[in-house]
Amino acid sequence: MSATPSSTGSPESSPFTLERGLAAFRAEIDGPVAAFFSSCVHCGVCAQSCPFYLETGDPKYTPILKLEPLRLIWAAEFTLLGRLKGFLGLNKQVTDEMLSEWEELIYDSCSMCGRCSLVCPVGNDIQAMVRKTREGMVASGHAPEGLIGASVRAVQTGSPMGLQWKTLQVQINHIETSTGLTVPVDQAGVDYLVMLSSMEVINFPEYLEAITRIFDHAGVSWTLSTQCFEATNAGIQIGNKDVAALLVQRVVDAAVALGVKNVISPECGHAYTAIRWEGPNLIGRPYPFHAFHIIEVLDQLRAAGRIKTEGMETDRLSLHDPCNLARKSGVIQQQRNLMDLVAENFIELKEHGRFQWCCGAGGGVSSNERAEPLKLAAFKMKKAQIEEVEPERMVTMCATCRTQLEEGLEHFNMDIPVVGLTELIAEHLVEREPAEQAEGAT
Amino acid sequence: MRVFEKNPLEKGLAERLREHGVSRRGFLKFCAATASMMALPPAMIPAIAAALERARRPSVIWLSFQECTGCTESLTRSHAPTVEDLILDLISLDYHHTLQAAAGEAAEAAREQAMRDNHGNYLLIVDGSLPGPDANPGYSTIAGVSNYAMLMEAVEGAAAVIAVGTCAAFGGLPAAAPNPTGAVSVMDLVKDRPVVNVSGCPPVPMVITGVLAHFLTFGRLPELDEYHRPLAFFGQSIHDRCYRRPFYDKGLFAETFDDAGARAGWCLYRLGCKGPSTYNACATMRWNSGTSWPIEAGHPCLGCAEPRFWDAGGFYVPLSVPTGPAQDYLLAAGALGAVVGGVVATSARGRVKAEAAVRQPVTVEELEQKL
Ligand code: SF4
Ligand code: SF4
Ligand code: SF4
Ligand code: SF4
Repeated sequence: MSATPSSTGSPESSPFTLERGLAAFRAEIDGPVAAFFSSCVHCGVCAQSCPFYLETGDPKYTPILKLEPLRLIWAAEFTLLGRLKGFLGLNKQVTDEMLSEWEELIYDSCSMCGRCSLVCPVGNDIQAMVRKTREGMVASGHAPEGLIGASVRAVQTGSPMGLQWKTLQVQINHIETSTGLTVPVDQAGVDYLVMLSSMEVINFPEYLEAITRIFDHAGVSWTLSTQCFEATNAGIQIGNKDVAALLVQRVVDAAVALGVKNVISPECGHAYTAIRWEGPNLIGRPYPFHAFHIIEVLDQLRAAGRIKTEGMETDRLSLHDPCNLARKSGVIQQQRNLMDLVAENFIELKEHGRFQWCCGAGGGVSSNERAEPLKLAAFKMKKAQIEEVEPERMVTMCATCRTQLEEGLEHFNMDIPVVGLTELIAEHLVEREPAEQAEGAT
Repeated sequence: MRVFEKNPLEKGLAERLREHGVSRRGFLKFCAATASMMALPPAMIPAIAAALERARRPSVIWLSFQECTGCTESLTRSHAPTVEDLILDLISLDYHHTLQAAAGEAAEAAREQAMRDNHGNYLLIVDGSLPGPDANPGYSTIAGVSNYAMLMEAVEGAAAVIAVGTCAAFGGLPAAAPNPTGAVSVMDLVKDRPVVNVSGCPPVPMVITGVLAHFLTFGRLPELDEYHRPLAFFGQSIHDRCYRRPFYDKGLFAETFDDAGARAGWCLYRLGCKGPSTYNACATMRWNSGTSWPIEAGHPCLGCAEPRFWDAGGFYVPLSVPTGPAQDYLLAAGALGAVVGGVVATSARGRVKAEAAVRQPVTVEELEQKL
C-alpha cells in the first residue's frame, strides 16, 4: 500500500498527536463495536458490496480492513487474548505511519454508503465503525485537508463552502422576480423551517425556486432563517463529534428562535442523516421539532391531496436513490410515489432502494480533492447500472449525488441529463385558477 | 488467509514467528501453553520447542458438508492463544468453504491446486456429516459435486483426516431419526487413512488447535480412544472432572432448576446431566476463554460429544430413567447465548466510560492550524 500524502503540517506545530488519537479511538469502542469485531467471520462478503473495492479490484479496499486501526486497539486492549499477547509483546502497534497509510482507506475510499453493513452476514455495521474510526483519525492529525477546510469554514462562516447569506439573498431576489412569489425569511411560528446546502445555493438554485412554488401551491407556511441556513454537517463527514454537535446546535437554535414545528433538511444525504438521526445524540437531548427530508414532506402533501399536478414526462426516466435516504433511512417508497405523479415512463435501475449502489461521492469523498480518481472509479458501478436500463434522464434528490452523477456521466461521455425530483414536481403543478390569481394580484 | 501461498513448506515455525516479532521467550511460553493443553509434562517443553522450530507448514484443506457452521464458529470465536497463530501462521489453510474469500470456480480451483501440490501430505479437516454412498447424492452438493465424491477425491492425497464436530465424527444432528438424507460420519467412509474425531457440538476450540499443534510437534497424530478421539482431551469423563462431583458423591441433587439445591450448586444428575457417560474437555478447558461451561452455568451436560446423543432420549431425563423426547432445552440454550453476548457488551461498556473521559475534544481553532 503506498503511503498517502498526509495533510499533516509540521509535526511540532500540530496540536494533534498519536496519543490523542488513540484516546479518541478507545472512546469509540463500545459494546456494539466489541461485538462486531468479535463476530466477523472473515467471509469477505463486504468486499463484494463495496464499489471502491469492486471497481479497483484492490483488496486493500475491503471494508472490514479499513477498520484495522480500530480493530487492533480493540484486540489489544479490550480482549483477554490481546492483553495476554501484550505481555508477550505480540501485539501489533497502531503507529503514526499506520494511520497515515490508512487515511486513504478511511476517507478517500469510503462514502459511508452502508452497503457493506447491509450485506454482512453477521450484521456488522461497518459504515458506522468507519464513522467512529474517523474520530481517531481527526484527533491524531490524519484527516484530509479538504475536509479540514470544509469544517473550519462551516464553523467560522456558517457554510462549508464559505458561502454567506448575501449570496443566498441574491438567489432569493432572482426567485422572487421570476415567480412573483415571496420567499419567506425569519417568519416565526410557521410550520416548516427550510434548510439548504451550499451546493444547492450555488449549483442548483432551481431547488429553492421549486420549493417556493410547491409550498405556495399547497398552502404550506414556511421560512428560511438568516441565523442559520445551512444544515450540511462537515463534522459528520470529517468524523468529529465536537464540530458535528456545534453545527447541529446551530440548526436547533435557529428552529427554536423561530418556534417552528418542523425542520426540512437540505437535499444532501449526510445532512439529512446528521440532522435526523445523529443530531439528538450529538447534542444530548431530543429536539422540540420534527426533522424531515423534503421528499418526505412532498409525499405527505401528495397523500393529503395538497399537490395537484398536470401533464406527464414522456421521457424514459430512472432514479438514483441516495444511500443516506434509501438504505440508511428507509425513505424509498416516497420518491416512487412522487415519480408516479409525473412520469409515465419510469424504469427502475436493477438494484435500487435498499440495495442501490452508491454514486461514490458521499461521506466527504467529494470534498476531498485527493480522492477524485477513486471517486470516479467508484462511479463506474453506477454508470454500468445506468447503461443497463438506458434512461433518457436520471432523477435524484441529493445535491451531492446529483453533482457526482452529472460529473461522472460527463466524464464518461454519456449524454444523460440529471434532474432533481423536487424541481420535476414543481414543473407539473397545476396553474392556479385565473380568478384566484387575479385575487392574489390585487 | 493465505490461499495461494507458493511454497508452504519452506519456512520453519520459529522463523515465521520471529518474522511476526515473537521473541524466543514468547515462543517458549507458547510451547508451555501447548504442552499444558495437551496434558504433557513440563519436561516436554524443550522437546516441543525443538520440534516446532523445525516444523513445516502443512497444507490444510477444510471441507464443510451437512453442518450448521457451529464448528467453524466455535473455532473462529475462540480466544485460545493458538487459534490465530495456528490458523494464520502455522498452517496453510488452502481451502475453507466458509472462511475463504474466493467463490465459485476460483474456490474449487484453489482446492484442486492444493490437492495436487501437496499430494500425500495435506491434512484434511471435515465438518458435517454427508449422505452416504447409497443415499441420494443430490441431498448435499458443492459446485455440483456430491459430498461423497468430494470427500473421496480429497481423501486420496490426504496424510490424515480430522473430523471436526459430532456431525463429521458420528453423524450428528443430520443423522437423527429418521435420518432423511442418509447421513453418515466420515469414519464410516474413510477406512484407509488415519481419522481423528474431534467431537462435540460444537467441539471445544482448544481441542481442535491442540490436535493441530500435536501434529506439528510430533509429525503424527495423537493417541486415540475407541471412537478415534484424542485421549489427551477425551480421556476423562465430564463427571470425573466436574466441580459438582462432591455433591454427587454425597447424594445432594438439585430437583428443579431454581430450588435451594440448584442455588447451592448441587449436582444436576436428576435434571438430566449426561456427564457420567460423556467424554469431553469442557470441565477442564471450559468455554469462552475459560469463562465458564454448561454445568457451571447451571445446565446439565447434554452429552454432545458422544455418538447418538441426538437420539438418546430427553435432555432433562436422568440417565437411569427411561427416556422420551423433550423440547425445552432450546429455550435454555437461547438464554445462555444472550447471557454471553451481554457479558461482552457490559465489559466493553465499563471500559468506554473511563476512556471517554480521557478523550480530548477537538476545536476548530486547532483544526485551522493544520491548514
Ligand atoms: S460504506 Fe460503502 S464505501 Fe464504505 S466500505 Fe462500506 S460499501 Fe464501501
Ligand atoms: S461481511 Fe461481515 S463477517 Fe464478512 S468479512 Fe465483512 S465484516 Fe466480516
Ligand atoms: S457438530 Fe454440532 S456444531 Fe458441529 S456441525 Fe454438527 S451440529 Fe453443527
Ligand atoms: S453435574 Fe453432571 S457431570 Fe457434574 S457431577 Fe453431576 S452428574 Fe456428574
